[in-house]
Amino acid sequence: MNFLNKYNYIAASIATIILSACGGGSSESSNPATGIPPDTSTPPDPVLDTSNHAFSVTVDDGLPPLLIDKVDSNEHLSADTATTDIQNNDAFSQAIPAIVQLPEWDAVFKAGDHTFRSNHDGEGPLFNNTSCQGCHIKDGRGEVPSSNIEPMMSMLLKVGSSKGSIDPIYGAQLQVFGVIEGKSGPILAKYQGAINEGLSYGEAYTWVEYELQHGEFADGTSYTLRKPIYKVKDLAYGDFNEDVRFSARVTPHVYGSGLIESIPESSILVYADPNDSNNDGISGRAAYTSQPITGVRQLARFGQKAVTGSILQQISGAYRGDMGVTNTIKPEEPCTSLQTACNEQALLENNKHHDGVDLNNVDLAQVEFYNRTLAVPKRRGFNEENNTWNTDVLAGRALFYKANCHSCHVPRHKTGRALGSVLGDVDLLQIKDTKTNINALENLVIYPYTDLLLHDMGGTCEVTRELASGESCSSGELCFYVQRCDGLADGRPEGDATGVEWKTPPLWGIGLVKTVNPKATFLHDGRALTIEEAILWHGGEALAAQKGYINMTKEERSNLQAFLNSL
Amino acid sequence: MGNIKNIALTLVCIGVLAACSGDDGKDGASGTAGVQGEQGVAGVSNFVTAQDVVNTNAQHAYAAFADSLITAKLLQEKVKELVQNPTEANFTAAKSAWLAAREPYGQTEVYRFREGPIDALTKNTAGEWTLVDGEGPEGAINAWPLAEALIDYTIDMDGNEGRGNAAVYQEGGNIIHDASSFPVITKALLEEKFELDGEEANVTSGYHAIEFLLWGQDLNADLTYTEERDYTAGHRPVTDFYTAATIPADEANGRTCTSGEQGAQDAVCERRAQFLIAAADLLVDDLTNVVNAWKPGSGFHYAEYTKAENVDKSLASMFESMGRLSFGELAGERMSIAVRTNSQEDEHSCFSDNTHRDIWLNAKGVQNHYSGSYTKVDGEALVGASIHDLLVAKGHHELANELRAALETTMATASVIDNTAKLGMSFDVQIQNEQNKQDVYSTIQALVKQTDLIQKAVDALGLEIDDSLKDDTEEDI
Repeated sequence: MNFLNKYNYIAASIATIILSACGGGSSESSNPATGIPPDTSTPPDPVLDTSNHAFSVTVDDGLPPLLIDKVDSNEHLSADTATTDIQNNDAFSQAIPAIVQLPEWDAVFKAGDHTFRSNHDGEGPLFNNTSCQGCHIKDGRGEVPSSNIEPMMSMLLKVGSSKGSIDPIYGAQLQVFGVIEGKSGPILAKYQGAINEGLSYGEAYTWVEYELQHGEFADGTSYTLRKPIYKVKDLAYGDFNEDVRFSARVTPHVYGSGLIESIPESSILVYADPNDSNNDGISGRAAYTSQPITGVRQLARFGQKAVTGSILQQISGAYRGDMGVTNTIKPEEPCTSLQTACNEQALLENNKHHDGVDLNNVDLAQVEFYNRTLAVPKRRGFNEENNTWNTDVLAGRALFYKANCHSCHVPRHKTGRALGSVLGDVDLLQIKDTKTNINALENLVIYPYTDLLLHDMGGTCEVTRELASGESCSSGELCFYVQRCDGLADGRPEGDATGVEWKTPPLWGIGLVKTVNPKATFLHDGRALTIEEAILWHGGEALAAQKGYINMTKEERSNLQAFLNSL
Repeated sequence: MGNIKNIALTLVCIGVLAACSGDDGKDGASGTAGVQGEQGVAGVSNFVTAQDVVNTNAQHAYAAFADSLITAKLLQEKVKELVQNPTEANFTAAKSAWLAAREPYGQTEVYRFREGPIDALTKNTAGEWTLVDGEGPEGAINAWPLAEALIDYTIDMDGNEGRGNAAVYQEGGNIIHDASSFPVITKALLEEKFELDGEEANVTSGYHAIEFLLWGQDLNADLTYTEERDYTAGHRPVTDFYTAATIPADEANGRTCTSGEQGAQDAVCERRAQFLIAAADLLVDDLTNVVNAWKPGSGFHYAEYTKAENVDKSLASMFESMGRLSFGELAGERMSIAVRTNSQEDEHSCFSDNTHRDIWLNAKGVQNHYSGSYTKVDGEALVGASIHDLLVAKGHHELANELRAALETTMATASVIDNTAKLGMSFDVQIQNEQNKQDVYSTIQALVKQTDLIQKAVDALGLEIDDSLKDDTEEDI
């Protein structure tokens, strides 16, 4: 067993489900039919009543309009034929049925799954976890550590400035573990250890404390939210930049990613409304990035702030940034040029046996295939014998539309083409020159509940230097960095997203999050213990929807939750 | 009706031998009896039906799982003898019993990947046996890699003590050494701790847990753990099971309880023994349930599997399992990853260095499925209606012949790995040596080839692999 493995056991998990903030540009709409003057000479055109249409905009995908008062006949299949029936704690780890049926695809899926769960040669010198699965617990969410003395294993703090630049010394994220030659196991940070001893300690120790915040529903029932305060100490490489900002992220789930990747850009852009031209208070802004290898500009749809455009871009970055596993897409070690101890330790890695990087392209392509072909669990609350939905789920669905949640958490999309990997087709042993579409992902009607766009979720942040007592300080080992934010903002722009913007996360599978990992919580940083808390945290463009929830009766809230839990 | 006609026709054939059309040898090797055609009757029986094939397959499932249970019970017995009387002879006997128990079990793995009892057997809320995919005992019986650092002492490549999760284990870093968190080690504890924290890597029960407790970590002969491995398996000393009450009378060196090279408290050896017995008991329990489900006559799954209306589905599931075991599991997860990444951790039976048998036995199981045969542990050779017969009976004799040949090629290449290991070079060393790696690649390629033909057979027989989701959606969109 690899020595690094021991930390995997702790794995924590969480998931971020920002329940909604969003809005894509269309609200429920309505073009109530106006009367047409009777014409006796020719039969009248049929009058279309669009008042029950969920969206006023239309996507050119050949589907009938999504209705707010009628459930699609296959809505219980969250991902069409890419849906799995499994509902237990392995619900997020299933291959798409069509993949299972073709032995050569099944084999690549399983090989990718194996690598996804494995530690790797050449990990570090800096890392947050040693395997993909260590963070994406059972292919679902990571979790917040259960105490302040447990290092963050499946969540992390990104670091940078309020202007969007990365930290000149620490880079884009804080890796809490280091590798030091001759010492066993992951090494936590030590105050100025990298500077004074020249050893590659973890970069810093990070933790979260919660302050309780109270509120009240319109019916007088009170609720409590946990407001996170992020703290950082033991900086191994010296102080952060003056204008430092942190962005806490709990690992999101991975299932369904291949379907998300296969939604045509044009379909997503239909929902964008960057200037809120329809005046519904919800904008919805597309973010862009460049495809690795080809350099083609494309919509960024992965990452909690929409910074990567493809699964390959996402996983190659995670291998490098989260595990310190270099690969042909991201060949640089996770050290900045100012981190001498890290760079020196990197030279000692003797496992760069795959074209000079830690991970060979066969493994990378298999893991990409695995991520693309994980199925989405089917809905609960639907009786397939007699084709009926539980009444609370139906009532909750109506409330979801009524509160305008769907404007950002766009329920339905249709996938288009699913091009073969830009790396080439992979089998068990090699990568070939061919690039074959994964047709098991193509032309499916899916219900991810996201518009994949950026939305202003409100809030502001401030970073202070404090002693453990809370007293202000300016330097030294006991002088922690402390970030407090109101609302969901992180104050750290990333890619095209500002410090208050987040990408609408998909909601499919949200009802099974705790089945898969009972310790998982919700929202991008895991602050919400329940789905209800996640709703209550919504602000900015989603404030009206949040108010809608506050104003619901207890029964309505319970119905809405039943609906969300059925996803 | 069709069957009656076939029987009548065959009776006539028996009477007039070579006179039947297609079987008289005139068509040469492409006749329905293949190269045997000239003898008229020496080819395969041609009135095998899908029902016959499925019945044979179900009977052999029972035979192979029953063999697994019988050998697991012998293992349980030997383990108890070891614990009561930890002599070298009893230690060797327990290890031999483990190796023997793997022989039938490896051949049952072809019954996976079909939502059958091994993957899906569980009790519903009313306490009745039922099948729910993913809820079966397979993981508890045979999951790997094992989380050995959660069970007992291990070292890492730097020579430091391996530890489980510090947050879970108060002392010693693993279940055996942590008496305060786990005062007694029982079957119930192992069931509860299986996949601890919902983490698939936290495997603490089944064959491989017992293997680890018998062999110990697969270190080198000098007890170092290095990238370059030697030919030896694990080196756990029998003294790891010594307690004041059980030290053998002939113990000449005054040794007492150990944890490898280190001396240990008696309690540690007692707890190790508890773990070993609990793991063996749990294995026997889990296998008993699977055997009962397949019992001809009374087994609930046997009845379901062989029902006339389920025959096509059962036959299709046989092919699905053959394909998925051949390609994804054996060629993929068990071989290609180990050989591509030179990873001992990815070797199936790494403590005992018995991986060559796992590979051979898995491949044998696929061949057994095809040929409708299984050789019991006691030597009795079971032969029944086969897929081969069925393909021939349905007129696909060329495909039948190709598939038979492909399965034989796989067995021949797998035998090279098996024999090389028996000659002293274990699988974990084979994957480090360029020339032997080629043998592993040959086996992978043979498995890939046979899977291709398995798919062709599915198509030829017009079988459809169950896909209710697809049926559901096509009507709508």
